[in-house]
Amino acid sequence: MSNIFDDFKEGQKIGSGARLAASLSPVATAEYPDRLKSFYYFSNAVHVSADLRYSLFQANGLRLPKQEQNSWVDIFTAYWKAVGEIVRFDDSPRHASWVKVFDAWKDTANQLIRGYSTGSLQAWTVPCLYSVGRYLRAFAMKADAELSAQDSVTFDDRFQDDATDAKNPKLEEATRVLNRMFTLCLSDRAPIEESRKWGIYDTTNLLFKTYFKLNTVGLSKNLLRALNASSADLPGLDAFPKSHIVTFEYYVGVIHFLDENYAEAEEHLSYAWRMCNKSATKNRELILTYLVPCHLVTTHTLPSKKLLAPFPRVEKLFRPLCDCIKKGDLGGFDAAMTAGEEEFVKRRIYLPLERGRDIALRNLFRKVFIAGGFDEPKEGQPPIRRTRVPVAEFAAALRIGTHADDRSRVDIDEVECLLSNLIYKGLMKGYIARERGMVVLSKGGTAFPGTGV
Amino acid sequence: MSSGIPPWRVAASATATTSIHSGHVAPAYIPVQARRSIAPTKATNPVPSTTPPTTPADAATRKKVEFPEAVRKYVQRSFAPENRLPTVDRSEMEAKLKSVITEAAEGNMLDKIDWETLPLPQVMVQNDRNMVLASPGVSTWATFGTHSPKKSSTPLVDLSKKRKSVEYHGDASSCPPWRQTNNQNAFEDRVTYPSTDKRQKMDSKNPSKSKANLEMRRKRFEDAQGRHGSSPSSRGASPTPNANQGPVVGRCQELEKNYFRLTSAPNPDTVRPLPVLMKTLDLLKKKWKKDNNYGYICDQFKSLRQDLTVQHIRNEFTVSVYEIHARIALEKGDLGEYNQCQTQLRALYAQQLGGHPTEFKAYRILYFIHTRNWTAMNDALADLTAADKRDLAVKHALDVRSALALGNYHRFFQLYLDTPNMGAYLMDMFVDRERLSALAAICKAYKPDVNIRFITEELGFESDEQSARFILDHTSEDLLQEKDGVVRLLTGGRAGQLFEGAKAEAHRIVDIKGQI
Repeated sequence: MSNIFDDFKEGQKIGSGARLAASLSPVATAEYPDRLKSFYYFSNAVHVSADLRYSLFQANGLRLPKQEQNSWVDIFTAYWKAVGEIVRFDDSPRHASWVKVFDAWKDTANQLIRGYSTGSLQAWTVPCLYSVGRYLRAFAMKADAELSAQDSVTFDDRFQDDATDAKNPKLEEATRVLNRMFTLCLSDRAPIEESRKWGIYDTTNLLFKTYFKLNTVGLSKNLLRALNASSADLPGLDAFPKSHIVTFEYYVGVIHFLDENYAEAEEHLSYAWRMCNKSATKNRELILTYLVPCHLVTTHTLPSKKLLAPFPRVEKLFRPLCDCIKKGDLGGFDAAMTAGEEEFVKRRIYLPLERGRDIALRNLFRKVFIAGGFDEPKEGQPPIRRTRVPVAEFAAALRIGTHADDRSRVDIDEVECLLSNLIYKGLMKGYIARERGMVVLSKGGTAFPGTGV
Repeated sequence: MSSGIPPWRVAASATATTSIHSGHVAPAYIPVQARRSIAPTKATNPVPSTTPPTTPADAATRKKVEFPEAVRKYVQRSFAPENRLPTVDRSEMEAKLKSVITEAAEGNMLDKIDWETLPLPQVMVQNDRNMVLASPGVSTWATFGTHSPKKSSTPLVDLSKKRKSVEYHGDASSCPPWRQTNNQNAFEDRVTYPSTDKRQKMDSKNPSKSKANLEMRRKRFEDAQGRHGSSPSSRGASPTPNANQGPVVGRCQELEKNYFRLTSAPNPDTVRPLPVLMKTLDLLKKKWKKDNNYGYICDQFKSLRQDLTVQHIRNEFTVSVYEIHARIALEKGDLGEYNQCQTQLRALYAQQLGGHPTEFKAYRILYFIHTRNWTAMNDALADLTAADKRDLAVKHALDVRSALALGNYHRFFQLYLDTPNMGAYLMDMFVDRERLSALAAICKAYKPDVNIRFITEELGFESDEQSARFILDHTSEDLLQEKDGVVRLLTGGRAGQLFEGAKAEAHRIVDIKGQI
């Protein structure tokens, strides 16, 4: 008999949610390439539920409460239909369609949800829920790709003239199902030992992922609000599987990041960074993509070569900018921003990275201060740096920093404006005496806080 | 629409809850309407109150348009229980009533129609239905498709109450397709699975067979219903077959029309076709120049847009309608309406229909600066092509954004004084906010004071007086002092704090829905 039944039997016998979920996976495995086909052809539309009832339970010698058995039969009947749609891609590709796969798979998901909401399925089987949810998302994206390839002109039939360009109808459909899974997990009032609450973060992650894909990141805040509201009933984060938590924290970090709450974003992203499996290079790369700009904004520091060495892609993404910031090369910084703009915008890190210009500017002006040397030392005293610097010197530095040619002119008012901003942001300490055209920096190695001078 | 609540809405809103409710339980009982013309029991009351629209509260809400007494009587009679027809349900009657009055009002026929002798809406519905049934080309299934599901099941369920044995047969065949999945579930719930394994096998065969049959039957209906329909199993999708029968082709020849948010399928008689709409646009442009009446013009543009939408007209004309409306809304500072146009324009430009995409892409960036929606800003940046970025207006907007991001107020106000197109209307919305930010920085960075002229020049004020007034509006008098014949702003800690507070106040989340 088919592998699917073995997975089901083993899962039920040893009480392993993961093993049970494997039986509902809609892919053939390497060791069993005919997994789906043989399952589909073992029955037909007329007999499938009776056959399933026999093969899942009687043949396996499994005894479950009647209601639970019925639920599983319903779920696997829907699953069988979905598998039929998938198998069609091999058997008669001309009639195969991802939209049909999606619809059938959605039925499977709904049957599963029904099983839980009627209380007939036990909580430990909850991995089935997110495994099915994960494929629902995958099929939805394939179905949408198929739909958009078919016809590009979609005019939605609405009466109101407010615009909606529905480019991902199936994925949006999927979010509604995923949302029910989310509520199903969150609202379970059973004692925590046997609660579906253990599935909450994984279903949340699925929704996060989908909202990001749909460009409706704002909706993820509703989830966070719902989670917050019931946080008292949830076990601590460290009680959950790490894989759930790392993804969850990553997304929460990115959501804060997009809201420009960099301090909070950094907290969550660092947590994800620390907990992430060291061999999950792709995930660590993703975390760094947001953690590096975050760190730049909050602490004004740049990533070391050593940190980025294992991640050549991240290194390539940030290194040119970092070098320019370090040197105070404003022209180079602007060029690097322009060069990377497309990539930065795509990853939504353009806006925070842009703030790196302040750091570049600080570094440039710091050079002015250092080049100014020391005042005449008073007798017996250690030498003190010259803290009264003419604005004109900063203007000259700006000419160099922006690679200005002879004809372009540097506006003194603008130089003052840049200085006043650095002072306002606490990157420089001192004040501008406008009438005298002089910047008075603070003494005692605090003119450029955190940089040693 | 410039009027208050039309009469049919008064009754409709009071019964909204019950009419939805009756979708499920309608056959079980008929709501008794005992009270009439007593003060309205509001929507929380499950009994539909057929209060005629003459109570003082209602009269107050619709002061502007006074419907003639005859019309109100007519409405009253339509809702009267003794005139109720068992085969026409309330929502249909209401829809008909609404269309009758709308048509009359739009044709200025309110006073000309003889309301006394006009058939009641439920009678009209009944007649229409008979006509459909009598016409040979239309099959009975089609009528089930076009009518609401409740009505078709009403008599049959009554029947089934008496004849239990045929209950499911009768129901399954008469029930419209979108209800079938539910019925099927109900059926399954009712089948109690027998205890012994043998019987279980037998029994589970039967439902699966009938399930397959149901499936097949459903497929058949789906085809008859047309392919656009929302999938029958999807939750909460209300069956509105009319909505899915493609674009409307209008027949209305009037140039002007008040906006009315549609609640049912559009009536071709009140929709203007493209050639008429083009004339309408010309007329509106003239009227706007002449009268400058924003309330009127906005309403007219909304109905114009609606007519375009229901007829699926998407071409250069559509673009220009949205562009003109967007510009007018900008000029009047109606950001809610502007935003609606902008969102549509984005979709229209994506289809390469002409118009002025760069002008509006620039507005879009400025708009997101105003609303401080960084996520949307990122999307707007992602939308720009290399060619867009070379455009003067887009470049300006991008520079404004970057100047603000870096706090470069000097550059920002230079850009403000040199804004292309109508961008200045948008920048006006946030320029004061940015002035406060700049002043907060200046007060922290300069010591001991600065000449007021410096503020005026740096922050784009028109005169020293204006900048002095601005400072006084947000802080206290003693910050400005006259020395040697010049007014100076005393910078430093206290001034910084005051501006910081004012800045925080001004930067609170902007309400983008602020429609006029």
